[in-house]
Amino acid sequence: MMRFSKFLKVEAEIVVARYALVSDETKSRFEPVIFFHPEFAKRSGVKEGDVVEVEANGRAVKLKVKLSESAPESGGIIPNGIFASYLTNFDGFKRFKANIEVAEGEPSSVGEIIERVKP
Amino acid sequence: MSFVCPGCSCLCDDIEIVDGRILHACRRGEEIFEKYKENRAKPMVKGKEVDIDSAIEEATEVLKDSKNTVIYGMDTTTVEAQQLGIELAEKLNAYIDDNSSFCLGEFVEAILRKELPTTTLEDVRDRAYVMVYWGANPFHSLSRHMSRYSYYPRGAKRPRGYEEDRFLVVVDVRRSETAKLAKKNAKFIQVDNDDELVDSFFKVMEGKAAKYAKEAGIILNEMKKSDLNVIFGGLGLKYGLKDLGKFVEMVRKMNEVAPLYFIPAGFHANMRGFNETLFEKTGYVNKYSFKDGKGDVDFAFTSLLQNGKVDTAVIIGTDPVSSLPYDVASKLKEVKTIVIDPRMSPTARVADIIIPSAVSGIEMGGTMVRSDGARIKLEVIEERDVNDIYILKKIEEGL
Repeated sequence: MMRFSKFLKVEAEIVVARYALVSDETKSRFEPVIFFHPEFAKRSGVKEGDVVEVEANGRAVKLKVKLSESAPESGGIIPNGIFASYLTNFDGFKRFKANIEVAEGEPSSVGEIIERVKP
Repeated sequence: MSFVCPGCSCLCDDIEIVDGRILHACRRGEEIFEKYKENRAKPMVKGKEVDIDSAIEEATEVLKDSKNTVIYGMDTTTVEAQQLGIELAEKLNAYIDDNSSFCLGEFVEAILRKELPTTTLEDVRDRAYVMVYWGANPFHSLSRHMSRYSYYPRGAKRPRGYEEDRFLVVVDVRRSETAKLAKKNAKFIQVDNDDELVDSFFKVMEGKAAKYAKEAGIILNEMKKSDLNVIFGGLGLKYGLKDLGKFVEMVRKMNEVAPLYFIPAGFHANMRGFNETLFEKTGYVNKYSFKDGKGDVDFAFTSLLQNGKVDTAVIIGTDPVSSLPYDVASKLKEVKTIVIDPRMSPTARVADIIIPSAVSGIEMGGTMVRSDGARIKLEVIEERDVNDIYILKKIEEGL
């Protein structure tokens, strides 16, 4: 069944913060994930496990939704790393606004971002 | 025998390996020791695997032809390798910079210039009462910071530990995991604008009303109970402040109320080592040009790439593709990129030349500098001949 939230695009406050559990120390793995505050997720019609498109500064990535009460109440945390760096710039390096929309398909991969950095 | 974990700037020196089990390390540290043989870089030139000497020779040839080189990174290697990297930059008349130019370098510089009073983590453990984590979440960034050095230990003059002998303050834009600990003898201040809290401390000390007057008043009163209080400042503080000078002045003025020190919190294992090593040589902690004989914001790695000022980048033990905004990282495709790294990082994957090196603290010994400035000697588990020292010496000899 089609979900109503599929058609909604909401603005979110994104905090970029170190999140030790989404990557490994060998640089071989980095999870494409965004942590939403449960209240924000509820208001936005987004559920844990959804894939959302996160768009900021004219660029977009698809990230898998997890919930965390440590996230800002008006948005989420993107762990410090390749996906956050792809979206941000130095004007809002650790905190920026993004548009969020439930998306189809798989989350973005590290390889996709590398390909965009150096095609 | 104990080992030093090179995972972060805590440089925990109590890691033991017993029957293959890693003891005392945090989750990140455990992974560093357990998986150091995984995802290793291979010597490559333009996408083709070559032997290590060929990769070094090719890099040397590129550097000979380069008109404007930047050497960048080195925050995860040893002081001894950093010294060689700086020597190489000098020989090449190159630019040199590290992550600290967009991380906590300006705080380290203020400490080295004696503008911010500082102390050691051992003194914090033994004596500190008020401890402010400002824009830092050690739960994820410095996992053993609070258990080894600050909130939890029973220090020499703080025998009752966190239950009664510590006053924890957490300043953040969100209720982080660390903020959730701020319950008894504690204060969580959720800020939207860090400058407003700085301003509030000033106003309270002048007896004026302020947005965070209540919180600032409580903290200043608690500080009077101790001869050692400390602010641990993280990246949230760095990017929350518009004016570092005002923060430095706030710390100075708060010292008129009670002793207050500052220790940077949350960066690569030996970022402070890079800052101190370059500072000793040039009087600048980062973004330095040997050609111009001075440091400047225009010589930051990010500025050089964005302004097209370099034709070659030597990136040592760091991963700008993962850590820098796309607008900057994507400029790497316009320069020749030489990556020296133990691992096949995203930056290694876009490099023209990859020179695989050793993991400092596991395959290479030497010295690193902890976040508070303490110099820590690294032990070796399995020596690797081709390490940053070997590579940098070979390049310098070949020039």
